[in-house]
Amino acid sequence: VRGGAKGGAKTIIEPYTRFPGVFLARGKEDMLVTKNLTPGESVYGEKRISVESSSIDKSITNGDATPATKTEYRVWNPFRSKLAAGILGGLDEIFIKPGAKVLYLGAASGTSVSHVADIVGPTGTVFAVEFSHRSGRDLINMATHRTNVIPIVEDARHPLKYRMLVSMVDTIFADVAQPDQARIVGINAHMYLKVGGGVVVSIKANCIDSTAPAEQVFAREVQKMKEERIKPFEQVTLEPFERDHCIVTGKYVRSMT
Amino acid sequence: MSIDYLLHESSVGYAIFQVIHQADTVGNRLREVQDSVQDLAKFGKMVKLVSFAPFSGAAQALENANEVSEGLASDFLLSLLEVNLPQSGKKNKITLGVADKNLAGAIKGAFPGLECETGDTSEIVMDMLRGIRQHAHKLLKQLQERDVERAQLGLGHAYSRARVKFSVQKNDNHII
Repeated sequence: VRGGAKGGAKTIIEPYTRFPGVFLARGKEDMLVTKNLTPGESVYGEKRISVESSSIDKSITNGDATPATKTEYRVWNPFRSKLAAGILGGLDEIFIKPGAKVLYLGAASGTSVSHVADIVGPTGTVFAVEFSHRSGRDLINMATHRTNVIPIVEDARHPLKYRMLVSMVDTIFADVAQPDQARIVGINAHMYLKVGGGVVVSIKANCIDSTAPAEQVFAREVQKMKEERIKPFEQVTLEPFERDHCIVTGKYVRSMT
Repeated sequence: MSIDYLLHESSVGYAIFQVIHQADTVGNRLREVQDSVQDLAKFGKMVKLVSFAPFSGAAQALENANEVSEGLASDFLLSLLEVNLPQSGKKNKITLGVADKNLAGAIKGAFPGLECETGDTSEIVMDMLRGIRQHAHKLLKQLQERDVERAQLGLGHAYSRARVKFSVQKNDNHII
């Protein structure tokens, strides 16, 4: 393992205060990192940082008992993961924390999913849905090393199809880049999301409507989410990591009365 | 319409629940069901497990997961329904709540006297099935807490591997 961002310099890991399970590596540059669930392995060639556990206090390792060994972290690149971009963009809440059950729609090859799996840890579960067979193959391979990821190669438009594979979840994260994304999130929430559960949706304006201004597209998507009984919580732009992207979060309020 | 029974499909097997408690008006029912669903103590009094039929192994689980995803009723499921549901006739209509309308159609095809309601046609069915899903490991008393998830993990891999047509092990050769 290469020790930190640059040779010789001591990297200090500290918790990212707002989000349990997310950490900051402070070196020459600060980097977002997650605690590697499978030490010794990178998922997609990302950099790993190893630090002496004894130098970390217990509260930041999710309360795990930490023998005096090394703990390994993986660098989480905000240019490659919209959730990481959203965190650095100032989200107040991601609804993803140690022990959480997360339904992840649009899992792609599982690079971002692997960081979500790091965050929820061994007591949490990520139900990772991806329809593309090519990406699904990489997703399955990633999941063979991470037993808290359940790979589901299936169409998120038809949540009934995977009802034998999914429990009730605390959070739905969606990055499906489809024009009817809000509806897809809605039908999955109606089946699988606990009342009061969190919704985190990455919206690429281009994928919804390439002719309207981004802000207008975002506003319409928020409205559609409301119609799916999701109460909007916040909206954060993903600049400078992505153009005309934002993350909208909300809470699922099932009751209509 | 009152719902008499509910079908729950999970990674560990099929379960049939009887609906014990129903409130009077539609509005009340919705609100009551939705609030009660959150609380196992309350929800546990609204439904009663009639029968839980665990899958015998990974192969049977996968076979049934594939059928359920296509809206087909396996012989295993049909025989479970036959044994556990009372005879439904003109005088004594029995209504079964099912998640999927295609599966409901397949079940009605096998049991013409039976009525089916789905999550699409009845918000109550949707809410009650959500409740069963939320409390599944407690309601299916033979199970340990992590059993359902362990089965989901194995089944998720098996189901997804079958979906990915080409070999999971092999990488494609890129021709440039």
